[in-house]
Amino acid sequence: MASTTQHALLSPAELAYLHASLSLTPPIRPDGRSATQFRPLAAETGILPGTNGSARICFADGTEAIVGVKAEVERTRRGDGGREDDGGELGGGGGGGGGLGSRLEGDFVEGLEGDFVEGLEGTVFLGAMLAEALLASGEFAKKLWINRRFHWKLYLDILLISPPLSYPLPLLSLTTHLALLATRLPRLKSEGDEDPFFDDDWAAAPYLYTRTKDGKATSRPPVSLLVMAVGNNIIFDPSKEELAVADVALAVSVGEETTKTDEEVDESSSSLGRNLRLLSVRTIDPPSRLTPPGVPNATNSAYGAAATTQKQPEARAAESEAVEGVWKAPRGGAKALVMAALVQKSLVRGGVADEVLDALDAVDLVA
Amino acid sequence: MPREAEPSLNEKQFLLQAIQENLRLDGREPDQYRPLGLTFGDEHGVADVTLGKTRVLARASAEVTVPYADRPLDGVFTIATELSPMASPAFEVNRPTETEVLLSRLLEKTVRRSGALDTESLCLVAGQKCWSVRVDVHVLSHDGNLIDASCFAVVAALRHFRKPDTSIEGGVLTVYTPAEREPVPLGWLHSPFCVTWSYFGDEGETALLDATRAEEQVRVGSCTISLNRHGEICQIAKLGGTPVDALMLLQCTSIALAKVKEISSLLDRKLDEDTKQRNKGGRAAELTAENDR
Amino acid sequence: MPLDTSAYGLALLRVDGRRWNELRRMHAQIRTQAAADGSSYLEMGHTKVMCVVTGPSEPGPRRGGLGGTASGGGASSAQSKDAEVAVSIVVAGFSSVDRKRPGRGDKRILELQSTISSALAASLHTHLFPHSTISISLHVLSQDGSLLAALINAATLACVDAGIPMTDYVVACTAGSTSTYAANDEAADPLLDLNHQEEQELPGLTVATLGQTDRVAVLVCESRVQVSRLEGMLAVGVDGCKQVREILDRVVRDKGHRMLLEGTVERGAGLDDMEVD
Repeated sequence: MASTTQHALLSPAELAYLHASLSLTPPIRPDGRSATQFRPLAAETGILPGTNGSARICFADGTEAIVGVKAEVERTRRGDGGREDDGGELGGGGGGGGGLGSRLEGDFVEGLEGDFVEGLEGTVFLGAMLAEALLASGEFAKKLWINRRFHWKLYLDILLISPPLSYPLPLLSLTTHLALLATRLPRLKSEGDEDPFFDDDWAAAPYLYTRTKDGKATSRPPVSLLVMAVGNNIIFDPSKEELAVADVALAVSVGEETTKTDEEVDESSSSLGRNLRLLSVRTIDPPSRLTPPGVPNATNSAYGAAATTQKQPEARAAESEAVEGVWKAPRGGAKALVMAALVQKSLVRGGVADEVLDALDAVDLVA
Repeated sequence: MPREAEPSLNEKQFLLQAIQENLRLDGREPDQYRPLGLTFGDEHGVADVTLGKTRVLARASAEVTVPYADRPLDGVFTIATELSPMASPAFEVNRPTETEVLLSRLLEKTVRRSGALDTESLCLVAGQKCWSVRVDVHVLSHDGNLIDASCFAVVAALRHFRKPDTSIEGGVLTVYTPAEREPVPLGWLHSPFCVTWSYFGDEGETALLDATRAEEQVRVGSCTISLNRHGEICQIAKLGGTPVDALMLLQCTSIALAKVKEISSLLDRKLDEDTKQRNKGGRAAELTAENDR
Repeated sequence: MPLDTSAYGLALLRVDGRRWNELRRMHAQIRTQAAADGSSYLEMGHTKVMCVVTGPSEPGPRRGGLGGTASGGGASSAQSKDAEVAVSIVVAGFSSVDRKRPGRGDKRILELQSTISSALAASLHTHLFPHSTISISLHVLSQDGSLLAALINAATLACVDAGIPMTDYVVACTAGSTSTYAANDEAADPLLDLNHQEEQELPGLTVATLGQTDRVAVLVCESRVQVSRLEGMLAVGVDGCKQVREILDRVVRDKGHRMLLEGTVERGAGLDDMEVD
């Protein structure tokens, strides 16, 4: 669990209003989106010729991230017992801080000392979440295998350009997704277990995620989405203000089933939608737990409530019972049914994850 | 974080007014250094430099280590600067201030990057053993112009330093004690010195050499020029501050060259005196460690 | 790999085919970031940097205990009569040919931060914003020489976009000399705007001037060079800065003109000079 640090500065009255409007059916969101609608975004790939793959995404609210992928050949350590040692390194860098890295190998983590990127605590947590999703399928590790003695080491550097206006996980995840899709590794020319050497011709370099002839990726990296629940409503891609009244918030990482490789499945997939697979779920501690509660009129001395001398027991009572229209920070966990619905909603065919992947598909991939 | 006490408005105005009238508080000319003193320690490689009330101690030392993997033929050379609370209450231990970072970068660029020390001569066995030469700079008292004083101290300490003599026979490295063989001087290529100009006035039209602490606090910009006596620039750093006319910078550079020649011959003289004094005891005369360059 | 400078004498063309006084392609944009007070993107050849300016705003809680994460222009922050200019530079790991781990507290980066902060503080009218902070955050996306110059130019553009009053643009470029310090030939030609390869092999310096004047705000030379060559290099550098100022000014005016046409801003008294061009 990590807390989202960017507390929205909202009064209890505002929180109560926001909570009430998000609990309606259908919910009314401050920016007028529907419950499952994503923020509009602008994306481009291949912006940095010096990298193996790069991407930039700009959300409509002005948050922006750039991801660059660099690959290096590394000698595989011996005694690793058949399992390929595939490094992947995620650096979350941001605002004015600099990079943080968490190496994705075993549970060895580097550079963890209390180093918080401008207003963005838990960079390590973010990096770990993105990494977890990438490695969850096990497919990713295989792509980095060169031969028994060498493997690719992939460095993913994430730069958060803007001040973090909302919880940046979806932004970073989508940008990473695009950058990986655009990533190409030089074509291997050597054979067997000799020291690898590669084709100079960049045009011949294959994509890390293989493509069909018309440029559609046959498989793709996972995406992590932020989902939250208010009452029984499930809301996708919450803004900072919405997150401040969330009952529960989840980071759901979704990958595409990669069992199909033939063209005929390709066709069927377009008609049937994708086979989505849940890779990981993480609860995010919503800032709503730290918001100050409102005071009902009945106990507010400014509205004529008798000032009692024994304040303590009464104040506690006021906190425990919910008064309609008065903000109270959510306590305790989420209902199991709501949790199930959250996950279900993200995976359903034609649902949000599908929609997001479709949208990312439309991004013209150039490397 | 402790901060340096700023001069009061009156003090500031007085200083600036005086500078505008071409007067300095201690009666120096604009391009005149405070008296520069240098004493060597009993050991080789210890230099104690005083510049007015500024005092800097530099100590060179050497040990045998493994060279860096990417530079197997080079020795290791590091300059460590420390500004302790002893010099000024504004400095804290283990917390580099901007002054300290800039000072160590300047020394690094002036002495290390300009190739004053021949690092290849520090290599003993390629890729396996080399000398690691380290200079520790301690500022004992801070009254302005730390950069020039520190750079002078570093160069003096390195040129005074003698490292133990070594030999390699059949892949076995022997390091001789001073009693067995005379220690040898470092492979020295040229001696760079820093000269720091301070600028005053709205357009930086007044330039002073060797500013005291009080002058440093009211200056609008500074420019450190590192040269050697052969007329080679090793480094120039005017890191921001009020813009100064380009022609003025050129003039500053040529005056700096003259100053560097003075400082250079001062160091040569001091080193000579020191060698003679040490030879009095009747130690071998072939110890003429002076490098002619 | 030593740079083959012998061919220069024959065709007078540099490794990338430029003449001695030619700048690389320079491309800049302002207002690239909707969420920021001021922002810019600048390319000098293959050196690409981005800048986001926030402020002038109330100084936030000091973050990062590591000394000089945000090095101030004025040593004092809160009580100061002038706004503090805090600069932070993030060099992306993928910016150079070999990936480098972004080292925290790298002295070189700290020096760059302090230089940019102090150079801009001298041009920005910081006295108009007492007790506040202007924070400039720079991102290096790709490096191919002249990094300090690109950072200064990007920061200036972003400050213009943020609408912070300033005396003039602080513009920067690099200059070099055609042969190394060892070759003591007086016939060495000065060069303008060095790329990474030239920067590695040849002596060079970075100059930043205040707009069209000959006044030098930043002069950084990190290589050994004959003192006699300084004058030529400085002259070429200062001249290059004037060209850079023209380019940056054009970028700002074009953007202003476009915003007027789009109706994003009202035509006001302050914008009258936009239509002159």
